[in-house]
Amino acid sequence: MSTATHTTSADHGHSPFLQHHFRDMDQQFNTAKIGMWLFLVTEILMFGGLFIGYGIMHASHPQAFLAAHHHLDRTMGAINTIVLLFSSFTMVMAIWAAQTSRKGLVILFLVITLLCAATFMGVKYSEYSHKFHEGLLPGKYYTHEGDTVPGQFLFFSFYFMMTGLHGIHVLLGMVVISWLIFRAVRGDFGPDYYGPLDVTGLYWHLVDLIWIYLFPLMYLIS
Amino acid sequence: MSQSASHAAHITGPKTYGAVLLGLLVLTVITVQASYIDFGSMNTVVALIIATIKASLVALFFMHLRHDKFNAVIFVGGLLFLSIFIIWTMFDLGTRETILPSNLKEPVLEFPGAPLNKPVRPSTGQPAGTPAP
Repeated sequence: MSTATHTTSADHGHSPFLQHHFRDMDQQFNTAKIGMWLFLVTEILMFGGLFIGYGIMHASHPQAFLAAHHHLDRTMGAINTIVLLFSSFTMVMAIWAAQTSRKGLVILFLVITLLCAATFMGVKYSEYSHKFHEGLLPGKYYTHEGDTVPGQFLFFSFYFMMTGLHGIHVLLGMVVISWLIFRAVRGDFGPDYYGPLDVTGLYWHLVDLIWIYLFPLMYLIS
Repeated sequence: MSQSASHAAHITGPKTYGAVLLGLLVLTVITVQASYIDFGSMNTVVALIIATIKASLVALFFMHLRHDKFNAVIFVGGLLFLSIFIIWTMFDLGTRETILPSNLKEPVLEFPGAPLNKPVRPSTGQPAGTPAP
């Protein structure tokens, strides 16, 4: 384990992964991280707009939101929260495994992360199909009968927009993690080169962060 | 340019990550349990405070912001703009005269606190003209 905070001699342009327009591996790594963080800030602002819209509608129609959230299954939401938190942990462990040259563990942790993401989407599928079946759809497609409180379609507009956008992010994350598994099996990652793992990890943790806020706001209204 | 995020610096071990995961899971359980307790108007605030603690754990440990000051500034800058977004929206909502309730489908006999197609105060949901509490 090297303790130097700047380049070791092995990094000086000898890595096959060094792009020619970077000075050294450190510069490449830091550049990628800044780029990812800037992208994540735009993601936060995008979801932030949705959260604000949700807050406005929740404040003006509290009874409708309270009644509508009873159609959600808390248990499924909690399971998904735990699955996603665990997948965040395995993602960061994959980075640690790469930093400490454990190739087998990198692959193992990435596969567990991918399985967790698949589990998350599986639970989401069963939640969505239940809602489609009940007619709990957004806006004008809301066909659920026998509501005592009107205006519940508003909640489902936000529910489907926010969890749907979040789900698309999970799917994209699964695609990228699959590619990382392919590269890890090929043996690309090690202590000198784990940038793609780190940057994907940042993205994956942000998806987790958004769910941390979505879960109490959607499922646990009281 | 901070080099603190560079390779081979600050390798956090599985023990720390495991402890953070445990903390996150405990806080998740607390969130679910807290949703059954009635804090009155503070319900959402309590949920958001717990969520923010969890988010901080993820950002500091899993996203390595503890050892990555440069990107922490970017992240906090983003949060700053998000809070401006939220606060200015609240200024608008709190001071706006009227807002029309959504165009509800039939059959709707009454909308809680708001007659159909009549303006209401957005902050209270009460018909326009009622004084703010």
